[in-house]
This record gives sequence, structure tokens and C-alpha cells, in this order.
Amino acid sequence: MVETPAILKLMYRNVKVNVDPGTLIILVGLPAMYLVFFGFGFGAMIGTAGGTTAYLTFLTPGIMSFQCLMAGTVGGSMLWADRRWGMLAQLLVGPFTRLQYLLGIMLTSLLFGLAGGLVMFFGALLLIGSLNVTLWGMLTAFGVIAVGSIFFGSLMLLIAGLVKSNNAYNSIQILVIFVVNFASTVFYSFSTKLPLPVQVLFQVNPLTYVANAARGGFEGVFPASDVWQVPLLVVETIVVLALATRVYVKSDISFV
Amino acid sequence: MSGSDKVIAVENLRHTYDGKKFALDGVTFDVKKGEVFGLLGKNGAGKTTLIKALTTLISPTSGDLSIMGMDPRHEGRAIRKRIGVVQQGESFDFATVEGNFDIYGVLWGVPKDVRLKRREALIGSYGLQDVRKSRAFDLSGGQKRRVQVAREMMHDMDILFLDEPTTGLDVIMRRELLDSVREQARGGLTVVFTTHNLEEADYLCDRVAVVDEGKFLAMDTVENLKRLYGGKKTVEVTLAGSDGGTFFETLKTKLDGTEIKVDGPSALILTDDPRGALKQVVELAQAAGVQMDWLNIRKNTLEDVFIGSVTKKEGE
Repeated sequence: MVETPAILKLMYRNVKVNVDPGTLIILVGLPAMYLVFFGFGFGAMIGTAGGTTAYLTFLTPGIMSFQCLMAGTVGGSMLWADRRWGMLAQLLVGPFTRLQYLLGIMLTSLLFGLAGGLVMFFGALLLIGSLNVTLWGMLTAFGVIAVGSIFFGSLMLLIAGLVKSNNAYNSIQILVIFVVNFASTVFYSFSTKLPLPVQVLFQVNPLTYVANAARGGFEGVFPASDVWQVPLLVVETIVVLALATRVYVKSDISFV
Repeated sequence: MSGSDKVIAVENLRHTYDGKKFALDGVTFDVKKGEVFGLLGKNGAGKTTLIKALTTLISPTSGDLSIMGMDPRHEGRAIRKRIGVVQQGESFDFATVEGNFDIYGVLWGVPKDVRLKRREALIGSYGLQDVRKSRAFDLSGGQKRRVQVAREMMHDMDILFLDEPTTGLDVIMRRELLDSVREQARGGLTVVFTTHNLEEADYLCDRVAVVDEGKFLAMDTVENLKRLYGGKKTVEVTLAGSDGGTFFETLKTKLDGTEIKVDGPSALILTDDPRGALKQVVELAQAAGVQMDWLNIRKNTLEDVFIGSVTKKEGE
């Protein structure tokens, strides 16, 4: 009999344990509320952009991209919960390596990011009625959301590996969600009218790269000024993944 | 013990967390297949660090360590596939009791039909029927402990590490758990068991090691340790219908130099020669025409061993 790969077993466990109402509200409910409230609220105000429907069309790939950040935070929370409730040490005296455990969380984040993106896509379709997007555009959007999920999953695992208290981790997580989300092109386009520090924040924010690429996929247009963003995102993802792996594999696991 | 019998072989194991103080300081021992090996020691003695090293969670600073013939430094995963560990602290998934059993079975690759049968059997034998649909985190301390121990039995293993498994269990459940472990050991399972509870170690373990400040102060079968470290044995005497004054005064003269603690008609005789003392008591009672209600040589307990070995170390 062929044995199920260890990472798949860990992913099964991660999904089973984390598909609870609280996680689902954070993962899907919050972005869905953004989609509805911001879509209709801001959409009604932004008449020059073509009204509610046009803004919702603009917002959809942004909110789909936002899912990779939310999935990343869920990944970090998984590690923290496992540390807090003793399952990390328990799993690591089981038939798994530390790397497999880490990849299990990372791939679960990826799965949540893609699933959340899909839910947002269908949610937007329900609100708008139709979305004019090609298969290639969809593949581009989900491809970049996948990379973004791994980036933010690694980033949150890195933070979870370094921070020593659950409260500190939760505070950092909220801060990261707020800053990364609102200093990105998820809700609005980049503008040179923004204060310079905020412009810089926009330009170095990986969620901007994800949202721009996803939007480019939806619109079928990739501005020449943004083409460097996806390769940079991939490089950053590799670096953060390597750092998270190093911190985690070297760390002392508490075993009470 | 032949080399092939050894499932755990540890030689001069040392481990330091900070480079200054050694949590393990030159520990050497073997455990053979089917043996229940106890680690006795107070908090911070080094028991959990030793369990961490044996279960591949830490790489020891120096020394040799072999688990089922494998080196934990290089064959950690292969070792972990064949061991079970019940941690001292809580470890649960955010799921029901049933869910925790199921997830654990999946993680260990237990086929579904076997998994379901084992789950039902364990829920039954550990008295968890009433809480099977409850979230593990909502259970009482004793129930949580039962879930944790029972869950570990979902998978097959060669060595089971139990780190204070009976904490929070009531007397009956504690005895049932110890009996269950002993039964499994008879079937060939090797058990490494840490505890503060000396009675448990006495009841369950074939051999015990007394651990203090990262060192083994004593290690042997429970009976040998009691003999070697238990010090003097106690002869208990209670006379019938007598205040014992004259009787025990005479006995003190006959057992010159022996410590006798008299309390009314009862006395405790602390001696290296309990049989000799017993003989003297019986002969004196017959000569004086005194009846006895109680006459007993009390066995040394593991507590005597523990105190004896720690006191001996402090006196050195």
C-alpha cells in the first residue's frame, strides 16, 4: 500500500483543525465585507470611475489578492496555536521532520489563499453579474496569489518563530494586516499625489505587486512600469521562505 | 542483557542549553525490549531533557545515543515512526475527542478501518464515551489526560515514552492506566516512564533510575534499590493488653544499640538485622508471657530509596 506523503497528512490536519467559524470569518468574512461595503460605499462616491459596478470590477482582483495576506496570517496563527497548545512538540516527536511541518503550514496557507480568492471571485460575480476576464487572466491572477500566499505565509511564520508571546504575535499580526492592506493597491490605484513616505510604502509592499499583477491579468494590460514587480515578488518570497525555514528549523521547541 | 535486547543504549550523555550548566551530565544506561524503565526525580532534575534527547527533539551536546540501533542525530524520522510520546503538558488539536483520535490516526497513517476500530476501543476502555463529542479543551484535567494517553495508543510503536502520565487521574483510572501499560509491556512494548510518584514507579517499573541535577544517582531493579539504598528496615510491634513499658525496656537491653521508638503498647525497631530483631521479640514475648496484636517487618519503600540516594549524594 502506498503511504500518503507526510506533508499531505499535515495539510489534512491543518485544514480539519482550522476550518472553524472563527478562522472562516477572518479568512473569508472580512474580505467579503470589504468587497460589499467598500464596493458599494466607495463605488457610489467614485462617480468619475464609472460608478459602483466599475469600482467593484476594479476592487475584485484587489480583494482576491488580499486573500493571500489573510491566508498568510492564518498560517502564522496555526504555528502559534500549535506552540501554545502543545501540538508542535507532539507533532515533532511524530513521524515528521520540522521542514515537513513548516511546508505543511505553508501549503495550507497557499490552499486557503487560492480557495479564498476563488470565493471572492464568485462573490464579486454575484454582486456585479458578469466579469470580463480571460482564462489566461484568471491563471495569472491565481498564480500571483499563490506566490503571494507563500510570501505572506513565510513572513508570518518568520514573525511567529521570532516573537516570544502570543499577545505580541497577535498585535503584530493586526498591524501587518492593517498597514500592508491599506498601503497597497488593493482598494485604490497608486498615486503620485500621496505623501512620499506612503508612496514608498506602496512601492515596497509585496501586496501591491500581487494586486497589480492580478488586476493586470483581469484587465489584460500590464503597465510597463510594473513589470519588475512579479520577479521581485518571487525573489522576496524565496528569501523570506529561506529565512523562515532557518529560524524555525534551528529553534528550540518547548516540550513541557 | 545481550546487545540485541537493548532498544535504548545511552553512554555518557551530556546536554547543556546555555553552555554553562549541564541539564544532563554523563548519563549512561540501557533499556531492554519489553522493560518498563522509570525515571524518578524532582522538578528540574533532567528527566524531561533526557526524554527530549531520547525522542529526537533535541540533539545532545555530547555522548552516544542509540534508539533501536539507530542514531537520533541522523535517523530521527525513522526513530519517531516507531515511538509514542505522551507529554507532561497538554497537547490537543482544536477538535472533539473523536476528532483528536481521528486526526492522530491519519497523521500516523493508520488505515481507516483500523483507525475506527481502535478509536472505539480506546474511547470505551478509557471511559470517554460521555465526552466523545466534546471539544478536548473543554474537558476536565483528568479527562484530558485520559484522552492524551489513549490517543497515543492509536498507532503501533516499539517504545512508549510517558512523561508523568497519571497527573490529574483519579485512583481507579490511575491504576487502570498503569495496568494497561504493564499489559502492553508484557506484549513486548518498551516503556520509559517519568514520575514523581514513588508508589507508581514501584508498581509499574522493572528498573528505575533516580535522577538529580542531570546525573543518575542510582539505577537498578526496584527491589535491589530498596535493599541497597533503603537503609535500615523497620520491625513493627504492638502488644495486646500491656502498656509495653517493661517489655520494651528489656528488649532495648537485649538489642543493645538498636534504635527503638516506643509509643505505648507499640514500638518501631529500626535495624539492619530485622530477622534477628524479630527472633528476639518473639523469644522475649514467650518468656514474659506477653501476647502480641501485631508483629511485622515493613519493607523499604521507593521513597526510602529516593531519600537515601539523594541524601547520600549530598553527604559526599
